[in-house]
Amino acid sequence: MTDGLLRTDSVTKRFDTVEALSNLSVELSPGTIGLVGPNGSGKTTLLRLLLGLLSPTSGTLSVLGRDPQKEPLMIREQVGYMPEHDCLMPDLSGVGFVAYMGRVSGLPRETAMSRAHEVLEFVGLKEQRYRKIREYSVGMRQRVKLAQAIVHDPPLCLLDEPTSGLDPEGREEMLGLVAALSRLGGRSFVLSTHLLPDTEGLVDQVLLLNAGRLLAAGPVERLLSGKNPETVVRIRGEVAEFIMALSRKGIDVRPQGSELRVVLPSGDTRPVFEAANETRTQVRYLCPSVRTIEDLFLSLVNENPGGPVP
Amino acid sequence: MSISAPRYGAAPVARTGRIHRTLAIVHRELLRRAGLGTILVLALTYLAVTLVLTINTDFASLTGSLTLATFETPYASPAWPFLMLIVATSVGAGSLAEDVGNRSITLYFSRPIRRIDYLAAKTAATGTWMVIAAVGPALLGLAVILALGWAPASLVLAGAGAFVATGLLASVFFTGLALALSSLTTRSLYAGVAIFGVVLSLEIGAPLVSGLTGNSSAAYASPITDILSVAQSAFGISGPFATDPLTSAALLAFGGGLLAIFAGWRISRVEVVGE
Repeated sequence: MTDGLLRTDSVTKRFDTVEALSNLSVELSPGTIGLVGPNGSGKTTLLRLLLGLLSPTSGTLSVLGRDPQKEPLMIREQVGYMPEHDCLMPDLSGVGFVAYMGRVSGLPRETAMSRAHEVLEFVGLKEQRYRKIREYSVGMRQRVKLAQAIVHDPPLCLLDEPTSGLDPEGREEMLGLVAALSRLGGRSFVLSTHLLPDTEGLVDQVLLLNAGRLLAAGPVERLLSGKNPETVVRIRGEVAEFIMALSRKGIDVRPQGSELRVVLPSGDTRPVFEAANETRTQVRYLCPSVRTIEDLFLSLVNENPGGPVP
Repeated sequence: MSISAPRYGAAPVARTGRIHRTLAIVHRELLRRAGLGTILVLALTYLAVTLVLTINTDFASLTGSLTLATFETPYASPAWPFLMLIVATSVGAGSLAEDVGNRSITLYFSRPIRRIDYLAAKTAATGTWMVIAAVGPALLGLAVILALGWAPASLVLAGAGAFVATGLLASVFFTGLALALSSLTTRSLYAGVAIFGVVLSLEIGAPLVSGLTGNSSAAYASPITDILSVAQSAFGISGPFATDPLTSAALLAFGGGLLAIFAGWRISRVEVVGE
């Protein structure tokens, strides 16, 4: 891999009869990557494979140009990992814990301690760094987990559900920290989440998984602009008749809540008004839709309920 | 909350090797187990063993019966196996169980160390505490005797050798046992109860089975009997012994090693990242 950050070639991981990942082939370049999918979609399995903690049933992987199966320690030196679940050492102080993790990652004692102070200040735990972790709130625990993941200054950080268990304010702060780190440059992030809005505006690439299968992967901009843009239409009148009228004109339309999502060829809105005229309905709202990663995910799942995207 | 970038040094820091990373775990584990209870038990043991050894030696030298066997007293006391059990429980029961229980083992295994490094660190830390408990008090007692000039240096040196040999074997066994039972549960309390349960069951059960079946080799199943036989032999006490000292020594070393390997196998099967 040249500039590649992660690459998987036909990776399949099977646990007994369950196929956690199925024939996954992706290549992602450095940046902030959203690893997105519902629970059980294979996100954590992929992270385990990337860390070299699991072996693929078939296929090969590459992280920062190295094979996790052959060089797991080299990779873990260059990767910071923030697990989803609570896994802290409650008897240690925040600074003691982060410094200890730095030492186990290969930092000399003094360097580990000075970096622990720096990263704890960065994540907003400067005042609480000497308190025992057992006294930390959920938000503080998430922050200290982020701190231990970056203490050894890794070029790649794997963040597994970093906003898990946080209230809206805490979630915003955590995402703000990740955004601040990614803006610094020189460090890539894989943000694994089932909360699709967490990735909006934060990630520049996305890897969408569903039931162990790849739905889409690549730069967000390209994925969101890759399809015909939709137009949101709200009408007053007989919705079913209006949809039939549009369909007769060869226009794709699907209801979503109280709105209709219409795909207008070359953005020409005339068919909408013609259909409204024919069915005597009022067009109350008409605006190009702003596509989100969530929209993309839902449309891909709808289009490919049982299989991978070709 | 302050959001400012961590300002790392300009030059990348040279990373330490696996040995240093492993030693970092040993260091943390040694400090972690230095609880008030452990320190108190050890302090009392050091005091008691030193007093027993010096008083015994003084009495033996006055009566002219001072031999190497005089130093065997601490092992002959029924309090000694309990001390080893208490220390093994205190420092070893939570060694692996706590990390698996609070899932901090995830963080260890996502670091640039191998699982064998992790287990070696845990073994070293637990073993160090066991040696401190099993060998240290007797060595202190002998040092006091030597300083007071109550026994010839050659005899004290021979006594130290016997204490070290017996203490190390006992430490190997109890370290392996503590790690193995700690690897079976996520709660140190359960592991502690199991350590006591296993050793005391064998101590009570082995003579019973031996008596009922008439098979004296059942006595080998009791680690305390094995340690006692080794100690009696090391301190030059003439037999008969409950078990053959050499066989007992081999069983203690082999058993401890096997139990540590079992703990390693258990750790190798720990799921690192849970959904």
